[in-house]
Amino acid sequence: MTAERLAAEPATAVTRERRLANLRATLARAGGPPAGPDQLPARAPFAGRRSLTLARQLATALAADVADTPAGALVRRVVAPIEIPLDRERLARLPGQPPPDAPLVCLDTETTGLATAAGTLAFLVGLARWDGTWFRQTQLLLPDHADEPALLAEIADWVTPDAWLVTYNGRGFDWPLIEARYRLAGRAAPVHAGHIDLLPFVRRVFRHRMEDARLRTVEGELLGVSRAGDVEGWEIPGIYLDVLRGGPVAPLAGVVIHNEKDVRSLGLLLAHVERRYGERTSRHAAPRGDLAGLARAYGRERRHEEALDCLDDAMAAAAPVRDPFGRSPVGPARVREARQEERDAWWAPRHRPHFGGVAPRSGWRGPLANGRGGAPGPTGIAGWEAADRWSDERLAAERARVLRRLDRWAEAAEAWQAAAAGGGGLGAVAWIEVAKLREHRLGDPAGALAATRAAWRLLERERVLGRPHPRLEADLGRRGRRLAARIRRSAGGGAGAAPGVQ
Amino acid sequence: MRTYAPAPTRAVLDRLLEEPSLARGVVHHEVLAARDAEFADWPVWLDPRIRAGLARRGIERPYVHQAAAIGAVHAGEDVVVVTPTASGKSLCYTVPVLQALAEDPSARALFLFPTKALGQDQVAEFSELVRDAGLEVSSACYDGDTPAPIRSAIRKAGQVVVTNPDMLHSAILPHHTKWFQLFEQLRVIVVDELHTYRGVFGSHVANVLRRLLRLCAHYGSHPVIVCCSATIGNPAELAQTLTGRPSRLVDRNGAPSGEKHVLLVDPPVIDGSTGARGSALTLAERWALPFLRAGRQTVVFGKSRVAVEIMLSNLRERLRQDLGPRTRVRGYRGGYLPTERRAIERGLRDGEILGVVSTNALELGVDIGRLDVAVLAGYPGSIAGTWQQMGRAGRRGDVSVAIVVASPAPVDQYVIHHPEFVLGGRPEEARLDPDNLHVLLAHIRAATFELPFEPGEWFGPGPADELLAFLGEGGHVRQADDGRWYWSSENFPASEISLRAAAPENVVIIDTSPDRPRVLGEVDLFSAQVLVHEHAIYMHESVQYHVDRLEWGERKAYVHRIDADHYTYANRAVTLKPLDVFATAPATGGTRVHGEVMVASLVTLYKKLKFVTDENVGWGPIDLPEIELQTTAYWLTAEGAATGWRRDELDVALIGAGRAIQAVAAVLLMVDPRDLGLVSQVRSPHHEAPTIYLYEAMPGGVGLSERLFNRHDELVVGAAELIRACPCDAGCPACTGPRLEPEVDGKALALRLLAALGSEAGARDRAAVA
Repeated sequence: MTAERLAAEPATAVTRERRLANLRATLARAGGPPAGPDQLPARAPFAGRRSLTLARQLATALAADVADTPAGALVRRVVAPIEIPLDRERLARLPGQPPPDAPLVCLDTETTGLATAAGTLAFLVGLARWDGTWFRQTQLLLPDHADEPALLAEIADWVTPDAWLVTYNGRGFDWPLIEARYRLAGRAAPVHAGHIDLLPFVRRVFRHRMEDARLRTVEGELLGVSRAGDVEGWEIPGIYLDVLRGGPVAPLAGVVIHNEKDVRSLGLLLAHVERRYGERTSRHAAPRGDLAGLARAYGRERRHEEALDCLDDAMAAAAPVRDPFGRSPVGPARVREARQEERDAWWAPRHRPHFGGVAPRSGWRGPLANGRGGAPGPTGIAGWEAADRWSDERLAAERARVLRRLDRWAEAAEAWQAAAAGGGGLGAVAWIEVAKLREHRLGDPAGALAATRAAWRLLERERVLGRPHPRLEADLGRRGRRLAARIRRSAGGGAGAAPGVQ
Repeated sequence: MRTYAPAPTRAVLDRLLEEPSLARGVVHHEVLAARDAEFADWPVWLDPRIRAGLARRGIERPYVHQAAAIGAVHAGEDVVVVTPTASGKSLCYTVPVLQALAEDPSARALFLFPTKALGQDQVAEFSELVRDAGLEVSSACYDGDTPAPIRSAIRKAGQVVVTNPDMLHSAILPHHTKWFQLFEQLRVIVVDELHTYRGVFGSHVANVLRRLLRLCAHYGSHPVIVCCSATIGNPAELAQTLTGRPSRLVDRNGAPSGEKHVLLVDPPVIDGSTGARGSALTLAERWALPFLRAGRQTVVFGKSRVAVEIMLSNLRERLRQDLGPRTRVRGYRGGYLPTERRAIERGLRDGEILGVVSTNALELGVDIGRLDVAVLAGYPGSIAGTWQQMGRAGRRGDVSVAIVVASPAPVDQYVIHHPEFVLGGRPEEARLDPDNLHVLLAHIRAATFELPFEPGEWFGPGPADELLAFLGEGGHVRQADDGRWYWSSENFPASEISLRAAAPENVVIIDTSPDRPRVLGEVDLFSAQVLVHEHAIYMHESVQYHVDRLEWGERKAYVHRIDADHYTYANRAVTLKPLDVFATAPATGGTRVHGEVMVASLVTLYKKLKFVTDENVGWGPIDLPEIELQTTAYWLTAEGAATGWRRDELDVALIGAGRAIQAVAAVLLMVDPRDLGLVSQVRSPHHEAPTIYLYEAMPGGVGLSERLFNRHDELVVGAAELIRACPCDAGCPACTGPRLEPEVDGKALALRLLAALGSEAGARDRAAVA
């Protein structure tokens, strides 16, 4: 048996070699190597260190310097500094922003793929810091895989333990990717004091007036910057990999400029936020949607007083008959559409961010590759959350929630009453909230019953109009019966103490 | 008058064996004697809490095999445990893993199961033991169903991570930097249901394990590997091929069992001229019914979902007519909701459910306790599978019965008439070829993505440099200035490899029935031609799907769920050209060869065949381009044996002998007959002689052809036996294939050819040895 098994050892080295040769021959007959990403010639076989030559070539093409360190060669491009004044004290008062004394390090990477998995390389790292009001940018470009230790060493010089990172989607993408690179090199990523990812902030405050939350869109909306002729994100990995394979160096210049602008936008965006929103007085002119979003950002940090201020300012601002950027007011159909897009959009929170790396493709792969994503969010009642337009009623409701969190029950009840003014199913929901507060917090069961009745009237009207809300009606029915019973009991209890018992 | 009084299993069996209509079909009746439990003692080092926890679960002492495995794992030895169903295999690894965690909570273990459902079962069982032992151990499933927020918690703090090879391959290994806590402290890797890792799947999984161990080395850990397997012929060899390391074989079963009767049953021949037989399903029902009426717990296995549904409704109908325990008979198969399946399993364990009709979903290690009777409607396709299914019946200290009912398929017929095959104690050997060039190249890509290759670094059979250089020509990897090989493509190589299919270029099957289309699976191009052409009935986990549209250029097939009473069979027209000969040797009457071939395949039409009867109910055209497959093959030329033959007779003889050899080959190598393609040529242009080719239906092959080359004599002898034992007159689908021309005696011609190829001499040799 053993002899037979030995004879049957699969694929000896000789047959493997023969099969490889056969496969090569077949592929040659079929025209070229298997699914090669491009038609560029392969580089010459390994012949020792070449990266210094390539680094010099790249440095010349990109107007940069070569840093030849013991850990490897790097192309270092120092960008001419620009002035971006930033009042750190004011910035620090905004939710989620860094303390005034922490040094800020802006960071953005260009990579060979979109997964934060082990084989994705950050080949270009753009970094910046403030020197007074001067915004100083440096870009580090890898001439070869083998030079990565030099890049990691230099990043560690920038990211000091007291520093805060400033990124756009860096929490989900850039920094985990860099951490993976350190882990592969067998060391831990540099410790830092904090990380402001501007993507969630932008999403929270500005999404009501943007098509998507790509940095490029944000620049256009907020900073008035346009990027004509910019390289597309999905083209970037191919351009760099071509260079590694011996392709032309020139297209890489576009990538470097793209990265330079991305990093600069981080600085400009931070300054914009600080200048327009850092002080209550400065944000009066802001669209009410921005203020409502900012209120939510404060709310997340349990800074409810400040959230309330924002909402009060928003209430004071004019309702958005036309939005300040000239788009038509958002109608319900458009809102539904927008919500659908939002669920499918690459930047929607439940999806993996998409920063290029693959050409856009159509068909089923998109939604399926994204997995789940189907179930709409928990929208208490249809249309309530969907009212993307920041109407008076929606603001009032938002305000009422904040007041409740501040334990200011009476004012919260008032605010809900204001929210109920819009009528309809939403009005009924608001009246129910009034009833809850009156019953449980304000010790006013009779008032609660009145609020329940007000809600009931609204629902009856809805039903007549052919828009029944069966679940709300059931809830109201229970609530009304309980309240009525409670009122009877307390009234009967007073009486029962006297003669009642036989 | 019928009796519903509960009766002992033995009494029911005796009564049935006296019934002539049933007894006539019994080809073989074997009684396996009862055996007592063999216990050992817990090792002295075992944590008293674990011991107490085991005692709380009714386990006072370990069986000998458990004690041997536990000791070896604790001592850092790789182990492969091979014992029958329900002999307490999982304890062999849960106990040493718990011990390791009790000693050092930073330790980690990784459990691999071939399917999600088995992993989830195991987590539940493991948690119960942890709770009973009063330990704090976090164990969790990491699979496609794991919600995102929980995933990061498992990555950081999961002490026992339970997953499947697909998930390990596509989600854990490529993201290993996020799993460094696991990799740095990995002590034990468990590979359960080892026997399922064979063929293409096994070849892939072996490479996934190579990648796993490579990363462990990077993070400085040296885990022990524990494999558990059902009874197969070569467990230690399989474990070694799969893991790349020798392991200690533990196969002395200490679990007790009662007396067991095994019956091999063949449905009677209805028509001698066509060889038509009665239905296996009907006969299986007839055997199962009296046991159910007598209150004996019975499982009936069917080979497809449809077979299960047919038998289930018939059994219920018959029991209803008799006012029998109809509602206590349930169905069980893939596609049932997990909660439903758990309820059925529980019902079987506590006796609430009397009978279950199941697909092979109940074959793997799902815990349903032990039943009285197992009826197999059709040979499950492998001896190991047969034992797994028969093993569901087996009470300690009581008689149990296992009945295998053959279908008319050639493989079934061969097996049923060779009882020594099933019962002779020599089950098939599971085969895989981790060094299949296509598979190896795909995983070297993935491995480069995960960690650059050092110059001269080994991957599998040797240094990877030559293969890396080959990949470099395609631009996917590059050798950097430090001499290392790096991944240099924007693609994510793991997503391009499906562990369950051979070729990198697959057709994705998309189910459009739910609201949101979902991906059902993938098939390689070569199989796609016959499996997912338009209007094909595609079977997935024994659910039927109708293929509405096949976008060949896009590599996508769109299907929806249906319930049809037929399946489809596509005719493949194959031309074959030898490319290279790896080995050749003279054989009686000709030559046997092992080599590489190019197979061109064109599929032009399909047939609709009724389930159970295989009756032809229609056909349709298929319009797909020809595709080529470079693979390995075994072939035999009959230059000596075929001299002086008439050409037309030789043609029939080659086809008939080829079919029989193909059936025997599938049995010997434990593979699906469709994994081996058959081509016969009256005059091969290559050899200028009559030739029968058996090629592997996957790119590069998985080493089957080399095995066939080595077992040539057995194939020829077996094929002759299969044909001779068949009760048909002149050839039928069960032996030489369907008769094409009524006046030709395909059976006699095939036997004459096989005799000239040495079947007689081979049979004599065998007899002499015996």
